[in-house]
Parts: sequence; C-alpha cells; structure tokens
Amino acid sequence: MTATLPSFATRRSLPGWVSIVALTALVASPVIVVVSSILDPTESMWSELWATRLPGMIRDTITLALAVVGGSLVLGTGLAWLVTAYEFPARRVITWLLVTPLAVPGYVAGFVWLDTLSGPLGARGVRSIWLCAAALVITLYPYVFLFARASFKAQGADARDAARTLGVGPTRAFFRVALPMARPALAAGSALVLMEVLTDIGTVRLFNVSTVADGVMRVWFGTGDRGAAAELACLLVVSAATLIALERGLRRGARFSTRPTENPTSPITLSPGSRFGILAACIAVIIVAVALPIVRLTNWALDARRSGTDRTVAGGVWHHTSSSLVLVVATCLTCMVGGITIALLARRRGSLGRLLSRLASLGYAMPGPVVAVGALITLAAFDRTGFVPNGVVLIGSFAGLVFALSTRFMAVAFQGIDAGLDRVAPSAVASARMLGARASRVAWSVELPAARTSIIAATALLTVDLMKELPITLLLRPFGFDSLSVWVWQATSESLWEQAAVPSLVMVAVGMLAVGALLAALDRGAEVTS
Amino acid sequence: MFAHAPARRHRSFPSTPTAPARRAGLSLVAVTLATLTAACGGGSDDAGESVTVYTGRHYGIEGVFDEFTAATGIDVRFTTGSDPELRERLLAEGDNTPADLVMTADAANIELASEAGLLASVESETLTSAIPSELRSADNTWFALSRRLRVIMYSTERVSDPPSTYAALGDSRWSGKLCLRPSTHPYTQSLVASLILNLGDDEALRVVESWVANDPLYINSDTDILKAIAAGDCDVALTNTYYLPRLLADDPAFPVAISWPDQDSTGAHLNVSAAGVTKSAPNREAAIRLLEWLATTGQSTFSDANFEYPADPGVTPASALTAFDEFVADLAAVRELGRLNPRAVEVLSAAGYE
Repeated sequence: MTATLPSFATRRSLPGWVSIVALTALVASPVIVVVSSILDPTESMWSELWATRLPGMIRDTITLALAVVGGSLVLGTGLAWLVTAYEFPARRVITWLLVTPLAVPGYVAGFVWLDTLSGPLGARGVRSIWLCAAALVITLYPYVFLFARASFKAQGADARDAARTLGVGPTRAFFRVALPMARPALAAGSALVLMEVLTDIGTVRLFNVSTVADGVMRVWFGTGDRGAAAELACLLVVSAATLIALERGLRRGARFSTRPTENPTSPITLSPGSRFGILAACIAVIIVAVALPIVRLTNWALDARRSGTDRTVAGGVWHHTSSSLVLVVATCLTCMVGGITIALLARRRGSLGRLLSRLASLGYAMPGPVVAVGALITLAAFDRTGFVPNGVVLIGSFAGLVFALSTRFMAVAFQGIDAGLDRVAPSAVASARMLGARASRVAWSVELPAARTSIIAATALLTVDLMKELPITLLLRPFGFDSLSVWVWQATSESLWEQAAVPSLVMVAVGMLAVGALLAALDRGAEVTS
Repeated sequence: MFAHAPARRHRSFPSTPTAPARRAGLSLVAVTLATLTAACGGGSDDAGESVTVYTGRHYGIEGVFDEFTAATGIDVRFTTGSDPELRERLLAEGDNTPADLVMTADAANIELASEAGLLASVESETLTSAIPSELRSADNTWFALSRRLRVIMYSTERVSDPPSTYAALGDSRWSGKLCLRPSTHPYTQSLVASLILNLGDDEALRVVESWVANDPLYINSDTDILKAIAAGDCDVALTNTYYLPRLLADDPAFPVAISWPDQDSTGAHLNVSAAGVTKSAPNREAAIRLLEWLATTGQSTFSDANFEYPADPGVTPASALTAFDEFVADLAAVRELGRLNPRAVEVLSAAGYE
C-alpha cells in the first residue's frame, strides 16, 4: 500500500488477526516443536562435535553452497540470456527442456551420475565434493534460469537499445546493462538454490559429502538425541536466513524499475553459424541434465523388465502413480488455500503481518526429515487430546500426511501468490474499497484474478516439488499408500537401481508436464503486458 | 517467488474470472474432493482379524506375510521406513499406535526400542524353544528371526591370503585398498559395538583408527561395495554375507569371496533381524501369532528370501548358503549391541571414521 492512497486496513478486523495467527501457528508448529528443544541446550554435544566433525561439516557445506550457487548462476543466467536475446530454431521447445531438470529428483540424478561416472572415474574418484556440486548444479540451475529469463524479458529493449546507441556491443550490453538490472532476480533464484543445497540429504550422502544437514541426521539417528539434532538444524536455518538478509541489505538502494515495458525485447537474429552455436550449447546442457538420466533410467527399466524384477513391488506402477497424484492434488489445494489466505491477510497487516508470513515459510528452510519428525510430534499431540472424534488418529492418516507436507511447502504457494499480489495496482484495490466493496469481495474479484498467472505458476512449482518429496511421505503415509518416491526409496535403499527406474521415469514425466504448465503460465503473464 | 516475473499491466477495471474458468475451477475441486473421499475411505475397516507391522526391514517381506495370511486368515498390513524414524513414530504415537509388531533390520535398533519402553514382554513356549536364548532379549521383548553376519570380503583375483581378523584390516598392506560402509549405518555401529565388547574401548578405538589410517573408501551400500571389489576399486571390505549370493546368482563367476573373521577367538560378528510386540498393540494375540509363525513355519521363507541364516539353528539355510564354509559366529554379543551403540558411535567419531 502506498502512503498517498487511503489505507483500508481496518482496526475492526479482529477475525482476520485471529485467522492469520492461528493459521501461522498451525503451519509453523512442526518447526516450532523441533526448535523448542533448544530451550534445553546440550553443551556436551557441541564440544564433542566441534572437536570432531563440525569444522569439516561447515567447511564442506560452505564449499558446496558456493560451488552450486556459483555454477547455477553462470549456467542459469547464461542460458536465460541466450534464449531471450537471440533467435534460433526450436527456441520454445529448448526453453522448456532447459527447465525440465527440475523434474528430476536430486536423489535420482545422484544415483544415475554416481553409477554412470563410476566406470571411467572409479568408485573412489566419483565420490568427490566437486562432482556432487556438478550433479546439484545441473538439477538446480533452472531456478536461476527461470528468474533470470523473466527479468531479461521484463527489461524490454529500451535499456539495451540505449546502451547500443551509446556504442556498446551486445556482449558488453549484457554485462553492463542486462546483468546488473537482473541482480534482484538472480538473487531470488540463488536463494532457492541455496535453500535446496543446505537442506539436501539424498545427493550429498551418495557422494560422501558430509554437510551440516547430513550432520543433523547423523546426530539424531546416531545418538537418538533429538535436542542436539534440533540445535544443529537451527544453525542451518539461521545461516540461511542471515545470508538472505545480507543479500537483501546489500541490494538496498539498488532498486530497478519493474514497470511493465512498453517495448518488449525482440530476440536478435544472428548469422546461421552463431545460431547453430547457441542451439548446440543449449542441446549440450539438455543432453547432460535431462536426456542422459532418462536414457540411463530407460535402460534400467528394460533390464528390470527382462529379469522380471520389475514386478517385485506390490501394487504396480498405477497404484504408486495414483497415490502420488492424489497426494499432489490434495496438498496443492491445501497449500493454495492456506497460501492465499496468509498472503491476503498478511499484506493488510504491516510488518507484523510480514513477520507472521515469514514464520509460516520456515518449514521450507529445514531439511525434510526434520519437518517430518516435527509434524509427527505435532500430530501426536493432537491425537492425544482426542482432537478428532471416534478414535480416529491423525498420524498415518491421509489428512495428517497432507498437513505435514503443507507445513513444509506452504512457502512455495505463499511466495508465489504474494509476488502476484504485489503486481495488483494499489489504486485498483483502493477504488474498489471506495466503491463500498468489502475486503473479501475485493480479494475475490480484484486481487486474485489479477494474480491468476502467479497462482498457476506456484501450483506448477508445488507439483514439481511434491512429486519428488520423500522423507515426510515415507514417515507419515497411511497403510497401503505408496507414492512413487517411496518405491524409489525402497529399491535404492537396497541398491536395486534397476527397480528404481520405472517410478523415477514416471516422476520425471509428470514433473516435465508441470514444468511446461509453469512456463506457459509465466509466458501468459508476459503476453498481457505486450 | 515470482517477484521478478514479467509484470502485467495494471487494469483499472479488474475483471472477474470468466465463466468457463470458474466452471473448470469448480470441477477440479469436485474431482479432488471425490478422490480424497475415496482415498480416506480406503482404510481397512474389514471385519476380519488383522495385524499391523512397522518394519525397518523392507526386502522380500511381502511373500512371507502373504503365506501367513493364507495359512491363518489374518490380514497383515505394514509400513516400511528406517529403524530410527519408525522408533520416533512409535514414541510420538504412544498409546495411540496402530502398530502391533515392530521389525528391525538390526539388533541395536530393536534393543533401543525395547529400552524406550515400546515393546511388551511375550511369554511363549513356541518362541523360547525355537529361538536360542542368545538371540532374544532377557525380558523376552524381542526375538531374532534371522541371522546376518558381517564379514570380510576379498577379491579372489588380487588377494591370495585374505585377512582373518577384523583387526587385520588395519594392516598397512590394505592402505588405499579397503572399502567400508559409513558410520551412519547401523551395521557399522553394531560391528564396532561388538569390538568394544570383545576388545575393550581402547583396543576397539585402536582397531578402528587403524582402518581409518588405511584411507578407506566409504560406500553406503553393501552391494556397491562388492561391485567395487569386482571393479578393482578395493581389495578387501566389510559387508553382510547375503549380498554376495544375490550377486553370485546373476554371475556365478563374481570374483569376490568370504573370509570368516576371528574364527580362533570370538567368531564372526553376528547381527540379527528381529521383531517384538508393541506395548499398546491393539491386536496383541494376532501379533504373537505372527511372531510365532515367523519363528517357526515361516523361518525358511523369511530367511531364504534374502539369503540370510535362520534364527532357529534347527532350520536348514538356503541352498546358496551351504556353498559357504562352516563358521563360528559371535552369539554372545547380540544382546549387548543396543546397550553399546552410543559408545560405538563415540568410538567411530573419535577415530575419524567418516
């Protein structure tokens, strides 16, 4: 809300306050439960850890985070520039394929690469922090790519043309104009990559990289000390939050006009040789990041079929696929309703509202297993109070599972919707209120329709995340409810890679469709402005 | 999240969603609600008797459960997971737990569940006569169902005189040629716990330090460790025995063999897959029947599915195992593995074992 317009945040909206506080408390409860075990600090754990593994864990975490964020920035930004600034054959399909690595779960890409590179590099050579970083970069760079591409498109041709008139070549225009203007977008993409790296457990374990997140699991399940593990998890969250705050602080003062451009960038058509070069570069990335894992998985799937081991898992492909899809739809709906409510309520409530919405996003900054156990304890507390009548228990129920997943992924829905609402003109909201519309009516007929594409984009991103999710589903799923990721886990925990291939392929396929929907939503948002 | 997505032009007169869009939205909600109702109603409210199992062992268990159901008419539903996470779930659920039986892949984890007060004592003549006293807890809260041995594996192509003790893996001739499983894994922790019991804390620490001094290659999968030996990445390693017959079934010439360790002293490290009835089991009688069945009639199916040795010494192991030599196993340590687990974790950490 701007100061020049009358503010319609009413003092009477007590129900609003109650709703947002209750909703935030509910969504943040698993994290709060885990974090509250800090109240009883375990000093012995820290001195022991500091003397043994902690320095190495911190060093490896920092190295890995720098390498993956750096690599993702270079790859994501470079590719985004190529697909927005230049015209080349099959540009739209290539753009879609460049985002599809998001659909490949890190733990699947990890074992595919580990196995593929074991041949040439040997079992020892392949287990290195640098290859781990490379495997993470090629699955995570699309976050940077998406943000950078959107920013380059939104910049329009004006800035670039101005630079060119001043005699700056296209390459220098990129470094001197487009890149600095895209800095906030690159920071936002990097923040997501950073979050993924800090909370990853599956990939780092495969490559023998012991990060702080791995240490949390080590302390927890090695010593059974939940309090000590929680303290370590907090170290992780605090450092992530500090890094993001630091970046925001540095960026202050460097604001760029996000006014919609009247003059969209039209891609430059280069000479046939250069066009071919760009196409080849993009295809090379796609081969490494998407095609190779899919070919490898397909081979394994065929091997499993030949040896008859593809039928050892109960229920078959459809059982697992439908479980995954039902879970994705239910959790998406829950997160969307929750995210929309929090976003709408929080933005009318100043800095306290913002703080509450941040609190509701905490689950995303924690490793999955930590949220899983936090949700378990929360649900158990509800069950003990007899919250649900007729002796029905929430743990192991479908509703309990959806709740747990929503507490982790609410941030994805909320952030997406909030960004969409940012683009609703305050004057439109104010006009509607002045004409006598109630806040709920304004939300329904003004704010949400305007944020439509952002809502679709957030849903698509949620779908990609939820298809891949493992630790929470594994711990809290109802009996006989086996998602694709659970199937993959069961096979890979016994090193039966061939048997993990079919469910991995289905996951990747669904994820690729969701990524397509995401891109379409983003592009539709862009079309309206032109 | 999409703060920098292309901005839309602000509309002065906002439109409401179009009618088709609204209909599409409504039908999506309707479909989802229908699916949810179906999914929630899918719980088994059958009148028939059933038993619920939490199992950290998740390889080849469907077969044995199906046989039990066919023989008794009692339905088995189970959920899989890692041992410590299932223990957290049991702790959180408390009296509300639907679990009747807990099954683990490791002796320490079932003992930790027992120490946490999650398991009930079961007095059963059938169980005590089938399972030797070393392979069940003193208070009869858990019973081993199969024996799993963690032994020295070596390359038959490059090693002519394999090490014959766990301590000998620390010999400098294995420098850069040793493969081990990371310390996060319960099998590693239990093996070190048995070293602590047999050698004492100081000597156990010295042995583990000597392994670490050989710059071992850590691989978090026994199958991959065996494949690494075959590929020449290491010459000697520690793995459970049953992974070898799996690989030999695919390739009878697989160039890896077992060296049974500590045969002149305490014997090869013995771990077990075990189960116990929970304290708040809603179907205690059915759970005891399943446990008894697994310890008797089901012994062969249960053990053979994974090439493990049956817990009942009177039951003949799978034919693939008879090809291996006779060996001495460290029966005495099994009941101590849970108690010594925290010290094993400390020793591993102090030795710098990854």
